[in-house]
Amino acid sequence: MKLALAFLLSALAALARAEDTLYLYNWNNYISAETAARFEAWCSCRLKQDYYSDNEEMLAKLEAGATGYDLLVPTGNAVQTLIRKQELQMLARERLPHLANIAPAFADPWYDPGLRHAVPYATTVTLLGFNATRLAELGLPTDSWALIFEPRHLQRIKGRVSVLNSQRELMAAALRYLGHPANDTDPGHWTAARDLILRAKPYWATFSNSTYIKDLAIGNIWVAHGYSNDMFRAREDARAAGRPFAIGFAIPKEGAVLAVDNFVIHKSSRRPDLAHRFIDFMLQGENAADVSNLIGAGNPNQAALPFIRPEVAGDPALFPPPETLKRLEMLRDLEPKQRRLMSRLWTEIKVK
Amino acid sequence: MRRGFWLWAAALATYAFLYVPLAVVVLFSFNDSELNASWVGFTTRWYGKLLGDADLLQAAANSLLIAIVSSTIATILGTMAGIALHRWRPRFLPFLVLTPVAMPEILLGVSLLLFFRQVLDLTLGLFSILAAHITFSIGFVAIIIRARLAGMDESIFEAARDLGATPWRTFVRVTFPLILPGIVAGFLMSFTLSIDDFVITFFVAGVGVTTLPLQIYSMIKVAVTPEVNAISTLLMALTLTLIALASRFAPDALRKSA
Amino acid sequence: MPGSSSNTERAGRLTRWLVTAPPAAFLVVFFLLPALIMAAASFREPGEFGGLAPLAAGGMNLDAYRFIVDDPIYAWILAKSFAVAGLTTLICLLLAYPLAMRIVRSPRRRRDLLVLLVILPFASNFLIRIYAWMIILGPLGLLYSPVAVLAGMVYVHLPFMILPLYTNLEKHDPALLEAAQDLGAGRWARFWRVTWPLSLPGVLSGSALVFIPVLGMFAVPELLGGTGDLLIGNLIKEQFLDNRDWPLGAALSLVLTAAVLAVAGLSAALTRNRGQA
Repeated sequence: MKLALAFLLSALAALARAEDTLYLYNWNNYISAETAARFEAWCSCRLKQDYYSDNEEMLAKLEAGATGYDLLVPTGNAVQTLIRKQELQMLARERLPHLANIAPAFADPWYDPGLRHAVPYATTVTLLGFNATRLAELGLPTDSWALIFEPRHLQRIKGRVSVLNSQRELMAAALRYLGHPANDTDPGHWTAARDLILRAKPYWATFSNSTYIKDLAIGNIWVAHGYSNDMFRAREDARAAGRPFAIGFAIPKEGAVLAVDNFVIHKSSRRPDLAHRFIDFMLQGENAADVSNLIGAGNPNQAALPFIRPEVAGDPALFPPPETLKRLEMLRDLEPKQRRLMSRLWTEIKVK
Repeated sequence: MRRGFWLWAAALATYAFLYVPLAVVVLFSFNDSELNASWVGFTTRWYGKLLGDADLLQAAANSLLIAIVSSTIATILGTMAGIALHRWRPRFLPFLVLTPVAMPEILLGVSLLLFFRQVLDLTLGLFSILAAHITFSIGFVAIIIRARLAGMDESIFEAARDLGATPWRTFVRVTFPLILPGIVAGFLMSFTLSIDDFVITFFVAGVGVTTLPLQIYSMIKVAVTPEVNAISTLLMALTLTLIALASRFAPDALRKSA
Repeated sequence: MPGSSSNTERAGRLTRWLVTAPPAAFLVVFFLLPALIMAAASFREPGEFGGLAPLAAGGMNLDAYRFIVDDPIYAWILAKSFAVAGLTTLICLLLAYPLAMRIVRSPRRRRDLLVLLVILPFASNFLIRIYAWMIILGPLGLLYSPVAVLAGMVYVHLPFMILPLYTNLEKHDPALLEAAQDLGAGRWARFWRVTWPLSLPGVLSGSALVFIPVLGMFAVPELLGGTGDLLIGNLIKEQFLDNRDWPLGAALSLVLTAAVLAVAGLSAALTRNRGQA
């Protein structure tokens, strides 16, 4: 009986592999199920996703030999690393008629001049999400990194704070709070940032890249350091569940990290044709708008704007206005020895 | 009398400690709430959702395939190793066979990752997982077979030799039937270990080849719905059956292997 | 007959070779060789974008080890991992001993059932066992804490302590206890002077089976632990799957291997002194 089941499952597995399948290595919750289903219907193929929650995780997995992905969705600095490692295929422009939809501001980025390898998909800001009701009761500021770094605020929310489990992101937040650029490589500044974090750590509940969405929406966590689109989701989830509190999120005034995530085609891709079709599909206005409407990400695609709900397009944390944009920075990759030093600081942060 | 009571109480407490968490997992697989934070109501829809979850079914199929193939090979190699350990006691073999069993799994996983990528420049996938699973299972099978042989009366083998049987004939007609329960137990043990393995597979799995534990891990990390409980319950039922079978075939071998 | 006996000898040696070689070869290729590669990798330079730098470019050096020795944080994590492993082992022992004794004192027929009841939770996937604790500890507010990590570690490894203990205790000759009673020893004295010393090989076996795996665990601290509950397993995993710093990861792995071999060696030496396990 069990043997029969085993054979049946193996047959199913074989069948699944025979179809046209596109392998996408993507961030958690970065393409809605509806969009994926629409694409699958449109191309008569299957879209199979694997997930990561940090660029470092994705790069490390590729380094560890994860080939077979057709598409990846790296942030700008990771795109640059992948280009320098010669791991990406050049895009065939003629297969991407809708490439012109990308807004001029994103059409010639520092990480891939002229967009020869990458197509911008979504933008997010790393910011603070919070339980607006609770924080209003406690009279705490919601527009500054001080909320997660200053003991005088933290003692009122002890055990209710979650921060990103990401070396670069947490250090960037600390550096900005101390008045330095997020890409600062001065070891002295790094040590100061580490000390700031260590001082605040006893008040934090956990380091998390994804569980904070649920924890915020349930009400277990009152302040979370995370990505703008995740906060959007938490807010929607809390509303849908009829919670007695509201979730808010805002970009801290000291500045924050902006991430532009792009579709790229890995050099080992077995179906670059399907990959190009996917990218062009996602470049079309209505499809591009999904990532804003359903996921709450910012959008580098100007053809998508008419399709984006006003409350999303008008949210300053999701679509930062020009004055805010000036305070946002994109992260750049580090040299190996700098990476090693940062990893040691990160270890100290985690363990002390 | 009183001492007996306290011992019973302590024992029962330990059994409770072992079973209550699992009972909670099973119970909450029927919870009608996506967030699964508190009990809402009874439903079996998560089991239905399981059957429609193509990724999960694929992972299950992979796990089954890998377990069957790796246990078969591991049982063959492990039986040979067990016989060798018992019969000839070569000096280096115990170290080779037993160390993978004793080592923390992360060390095995990491060294295999380095080996596959740096030396063989191999794309991680089905083959790398198979090789890894066989490596850690051989030791378990060998231990079981050796224990089984150790409990046997040597005179049978001597009798066979005196009667002029070649080593091959001795094996087929005498040794094999006697150790068969051990071989079956070893196979079931390898099968269970392979289906369950997380740490080593975590390091050597490639793209497109997920196993059930890896899939469960990403489910736990990303979005914990009662679907995780449902697949956990089903998995428990499966391995429960296998272990019960194993204990039927070779109860002493299982205990001695501990 | 000289001819046939040398044939038998040759057949014997061929048999020995045929039986020993395949598993040995497999393990040399897939266990020993990777272990040596890992040792070698610890002396290399990290690649510019991660992994290992090519030998020609980077050469070999002790950088990774110097880095580990430079900062006491790594020794601290190793010490902490030992402490967690030790505490887990102790708690497992305290929980396992009464249970094993209770099983041994049961009638023979019931014993197999009771042992099976011990093994069955072990039948569930290890991640599920951790997940079970996430469900329980969450509402209690104990999730993401050292308590959670300890609970998870104990829970996952308890059967490894129960089984060797039981196997040992089962072999005790009840006549010894009777003799002690006849000589006037009270219940506690009987346990402490007779049962406990005889059970030591089982205790050591079980302890090794708990201590060593706990040293290398990363999933329990990662899923159940809070911000400070990193152990050396997490550190190693991080180097390979987050930091892309393979030499450092390999060096830390070697340090862990040395620690494990030391513990295993100690356990083996202690067991040998006391006779059969």
